[in-house]
Amino acid sequence: MKLVTLAFKSISNRKASVLLTLFTIAVSVMLLLSIERVRQEAKQSFGSTISGTDLIVGARTGDIQLLLSSVFRIGHATNGLSWQSYQYIKQQKGVAWTIPISLGDSHKGFSVLGSDGNYFQFYRYGKKQSLTFSHGRPYHNAQEVVIGSEVAKQLHYLLGQKIVVAHGMGNTSFHNHDDNPLTIVGILEPTGTPVDKTLHVPLKAIELMHGPTHRVSTTAIVRNNDSHSHDEHEHHEHHEHLEHGHHDHNALESEPGDLIGEPTQLTAFLMGFDSPLYTLQVRRNINTYKPEALSAIMPGVTLRELWGMLDIVEKILMLFSAVVVLISLLGMLTTLLSSLSQRRRELAILRSVGARPKHIFALMCSEAVLITALGSLIGIAMFYLLILVSKGMLQAQFGIAISLSLLSDYELMLLGVIMVSGTVIGAIPAIRAYFYSLNDGMSIKV
Amino acid sequence: MIQISDLTFNWPGQSKPTLHINDLQIQQGERLFLHGPSGSGKSTLLGLLAGIQTPQQGSITILEQDLGKLSDAKRDKFRADHIGTIFQNFNLLPYLSPIENVLLGCNFSKRRVANLKRANISAQNQANLLLEQLGIDQTTRSRSVSELSIGQQQRVAAARAFIGQPELIIADEPTSALDADNRDIFIKQLFEQATHYQATILFVSHDASLAHLFDRQVSLKEINEVKQ
Repeated sequence: MKLVTLAFKSISNRKASVLLTLFTIAVSVMLLLSIERVRQEAKQSFGSTISGTDLIVGARTGDIQLLLSSVFRIGHATNGLSWQSYQYIKQQKGVAWTIPISLGDSHKGFSVLGSDGNYFQFYRYGKKQSLTFSHGRPYHNAQEVVIGSEVAKQLHYLLGQKIVVAHGMGNTSFHNHDDNPLTIVGILEPTGTPVDKTLHVPLKAIELMHGPTHRVSTTAIVRNNDSHSHDEHEHHEHHEHLEHGHHDHNALESEPGDLIGEPTQLTAFLMGFDSPLYTLQVRRNINTYKPEALSAIMPGVTLRELWGMLDIVEKILMLFSAVVVLISLLGMLTTLLSSLSQRRRELAILRSVGARPKHIFALMCSEAVLITALGSLIGIAMFYLLILVSKGMLQAQFGIAISLSLLSDYELMLLGVIMVSGTVIGAIPAIRAYFYSLNDGMSIKV
Repeated sequence: MIQISDLTFNWPGQSKPTLHINDLQIQQGERLFLHGPSGSGKSTLLGLLAGIQTPQQGSITILEQDLGKLSDAKRDKFRADHIGTIFQNFNLLPYLSPIENVLLGCNFSKRRVANLKRANISAQNQANLLLEQLGIDQTTRSRSVSELSIGQQQRVAAARAFIGQPELIIADEPTSALDADNRDIFIKQLFEQATHYQATILFVSHDASLAHLFDRQVSLKEINEVKQ
């Protein structure tokens, strides 16, 4: 019989205490892997929310605050920027496209984003993927709305349905604008980004919602109607193409209308350039723009700043889960040590049949290794079970897409560290057993 | 078979030696009763014979091999190869079946395995045969160790001591937990096996009433020069 077999039979004889130890190790391994996985995937998820955008421009505020409010819909931008400034900056040299963004309204807890047709044409996420429609098409006029996949899923909205969008961010609102219902004309494919939880409306729809009281004098507003109508035309053709072959084709037929209206303010806008060379130049111009205090940020750079800030939180989380693993291994040490005094007879019997102290040492060590390995395996199984169960919830609540993929090298490395620690800790009772067996020999104590 | 001369043993940290034996000889095939009440240095002598401890002075020779000249590892191997041991009680590992407990006897000894091979019998068959001879039937063999009576456990331990034909069987109070009937049956079976496998028996007990069953009796109190 091999020593490992002997060790295995020995621990299966002490089921109650060993099972508890296995359980604590399994839970700690599950915790460590889960925290690690969520951390990685959250980072990835966050990082892939926006791509292809060179600059985000908003009223002067902190870089991270601007990024969070404009892209992640976290927090509010306290100030907006004026429509004139947007029109002016748009004309800068090298600007390929701009996407105006107006936030601040909500519908049943989902945020409402006002923009124009550029949004569907130029917005990119993940690996420069553009938004695609699972049903329908982009909006054509101020009475239409395009909803994200989560909005459709959670509110059970269907194409063609009419909804009312409220003013303000709350779930319940004091003044609902029942007079301005919007028709759902498009549902986007899931992206794993805040887009899924957003209702997209034309800027003009936002304006209509807020009514004439919110409108400031329009005389000062300079509009570039020519270039705009040109854009719209292009989009229209694009939409026709998308729409083609859809079964709801006829039901959603509508007249193209004004998407912009006469806005005075925007929350922010996204910019893309013909060449990255223009980015810094334009950024400088915006930051020193005289008529209004503006901020322009490069999303990639600001994201890195954000990681820098979250770094300490990540480290603390890792530290805690490492401590939990350590405690579980110390629990194993306690179990092995306390059983040791009851097992001196067993050691004496083994010695009498010729086991050497080194055999006793190996036997005790392999018990620790077996418990750690078995605990880790159960922990991995529990980890996958947990992902399977909480996957949907994480996606819906936090927009974090967790994949059921194989363990990464880093995760395997963590497991390796646990195994080594388990073995090292197991050496402590093994060393004691070694000396017991040297001193007691075959004489049975206890 | 066993030759002890001028032996002195001192536990570390004790000023007075525990054991001093001038001369003790045990012949091949002999069944020796060693009478040793507690405190007479009985455990110490058994530890020395098994090669767990080494004497400060003098020598112990078993089968022409001076134990003092062997390294620790060699002495462990020597014990595994040549000596079978039966303890007072709780002789068995509770997590192994009776058969596995018997097989444990040749787990650490290549020589015992080789002996079985020479006798042309598998370890498994030999274990079953020994248990059969010692009166452990088929159904008892498949039970868990904790379900066996103490008498049955002692017989399993005896089978473990005999497997692979070691030359010397050391029995340390194997019958003290048995009642009189079981005790006599056990000793009788022990002798049968010893005859069959040509083993020498060193039987240690505090119960002098068993002495008449043996070829010879030695009182440890008398041969130990250190007076307690």
